[in-house]
Amino acid sequence: MRAVTALLALATLPGLGGCGGAGSKTRGKTLTIAAYTVTREVLGREIIPGFKQSFAGGPVQVEESYEASGAQTRSLISGFEGDVALLSMSSDMEKLVKAKLITHDWKTGPGKGMVSRSLVVFVVRKGNPKGLRDWPDLTRPGVEVLTPNPETSGGARWNITAICADALKQRGLEAALQILAAVRANVIKMDKSGRESMTTFEFGIGDVAITYENEARARLARDADIEIVIPRSTVLIENPAAVLDVYVDRNGTRALAEAFVTYLTSDDGQRAFVRHGFRPVVPKIEAESRAQFGQPERLYTIQDLGGWKSVGQTLFDKDGLWAQAGRRVASR
Amino acid sequence: MSARTPARRLPPSGALGLRAAALAYIGLLVLLPIIAISVRAFEDGPRGFLAELARPEALAALRLTFLCALGVTLFNAVVGSIVAYTVIRYRFPGKAILNALIDLPFAIPTVVVGFILVLLYGPRGIIGAILKSNGIVLLNNQAGIILALLFVTFPFVVRAVQPILEELDREEEQAAWTLGAGHWETLRRVILPVITPGIITGAALSFTRALGEFGSVVLIAGNIPLKTEVAAVYVYGQVESDNVRGATAVSLFLLVAAFGFLTLFTLLQARLSRHHHAA
Repeated sequence: MRAVTALLALATLPGLGGCGGAGSKTRGKTLTIAAYTVTREVLGREIIPGFKQSFAGGPVQVEESYEASGAQTRSLISGFEGDVALLSMSSDMEKLVKAKLITHDWKTGPGKGMVSRSLVVFVVRKGNPKGLRDWPDLTRPGVEVLTPNPETSGGARWNITAICADALKQRGLEAALQILAAVRANVIKMDKSGRESMTTFEFGIGDVAITYENEARARLARDADIEIVIPRSTVLIENPAAVLDVYVDRNGTRALAEAFVTYLTSDDGQRAFVRHGFRPVVPKIEAESRAQFGQPERLYTIQDLGGWKSVGQTLFDKDGLWAQAGRRVASR
Repeated sequence: MSARTPARRLPPSGALGLRAAALAYIGLLVLLPIIAISVRAFEDGPRGFLAELARPEALAALRLTFLCALGVTLFNAVVGSIVAYTVIRYRFPGKAILNALIDLPFAIPTVVVGFILVLLYGPRGIIGAILKSNGIVLLNNQAGIILALLFVTFPFVVRAVQPILEELDREEEQAAWTLGAGHWETLRRVILPVITPGIITGAALSFTRALGEFGSVVLIAGNIPLKTEVAAVYVYGQVESDNVRGATAVSLFLLVAAFGFLTLFTLLQARLSRHHHAA
């Protein structure tokens, strides 16, 4: 009976969809990277080729897997043996620590565990016809807002935190709930991911899409009909990367994996991030690229707001502020 | 109506083996996953299960799903029957092509359906632009959900009614005519009683399919919890946010409801066809 239950439990495990490494027989020279979706271009086109060239220990095979940060985290926990995790938010990294896949202190290195940064920004139509400059503008009647669902998108969690960051920091929970409800009343579509949200926007739906600055810059490069607006207050997004101790030790890829994580914060790695619209974490590269990036009046880190654990509970629990905001909108 | 099946002539052992194999297959393929879902849904006892179902977002999603499925099914029952009748009874150029078109919604991946509908009915789409200038929006609201569901469930009723109509004697219909029955009376007394079991079968399939539809709806519905989020999209959100219990609770509810409706429809259909044969 116990065996049956175990089988059933296994059959119903979520997120078994991770891509198992096809070349896992040749481990030792094959590095498997488990990353969140948005990094696909910067990793595939620049960082991985650059790393292969710079790595002194001989030719390297790299396998890449891209999924939404949360789904990627679940894949790793349920057995996808990625050597390096590059995720959207540190709370996902903490889940890997909790699952005992990461046993070292990952918050080290020049970025204290973080390898890239970005901001939560607005993408609007060319010329910003509705004059959207800051979060309160998104609460005006008739403004159509796009943001993905925080249940499926890590990016959405950053977005929603940014909506109420000012309120949380300066005026308390009720004020935060008020602005969340007012913005949420104008949300016309919640996609599964930030990238899908941008696709919806490109279909001509919505006046503003809330998204990562790097995603917005990538779109701007190929779509001349949009504009990026940095709101007066916003949140500093920080993306972590770390070696998964259990998997690298099992596969004999530790040296390779650690070299890769180091490369992410090397000058070359950081400049590649900048070219793809990310903000760097290393001060030297930050200084040389500062002119390319606009600055908001007030920029909050997640620590300023109490850290992910507290923000997660306050905003995204089943009865957190975001759910309450939705119920308030529905009961109007 | 049809000849008795010759299966009865199989030797008892062979029939037994066949039955066991069929049952085992259904058990493994259908029953096992359903049991697994039930086990998960009741992990924290009935109270945990009910608490998940009672979440406002879950209730709203279920309500929306059932209402849309019901509306779509009623519409299909009427329009699907008319389409089937038209295809069988009338001759017109391109009939073979039309006949083939009917099944196409089954062949297109549902995500593509959603995508195409957004392209067509979105503000930059051919139809969407015209609609928008008239103040009509079929996207990111209940109308969008219905549109997607109508597309993916369209073939069910047509294909269930069509073979019955083919079997229906044209002469029976003509006899009714010559005996002085009008259009309406012929329909009501000759055609409808025969095709009703088919309509019910098609409606049942269409309804249960609409309950679980995800791919086409997720792109067109808006997916706003409490407003435009259908049950399947809600379940997906719960899976993605590590709330397995919530996901399985709502799934189980859908399953039980679908099972209930299918059983009900089957009973109804059996009764009706017996009634018809007796008459």
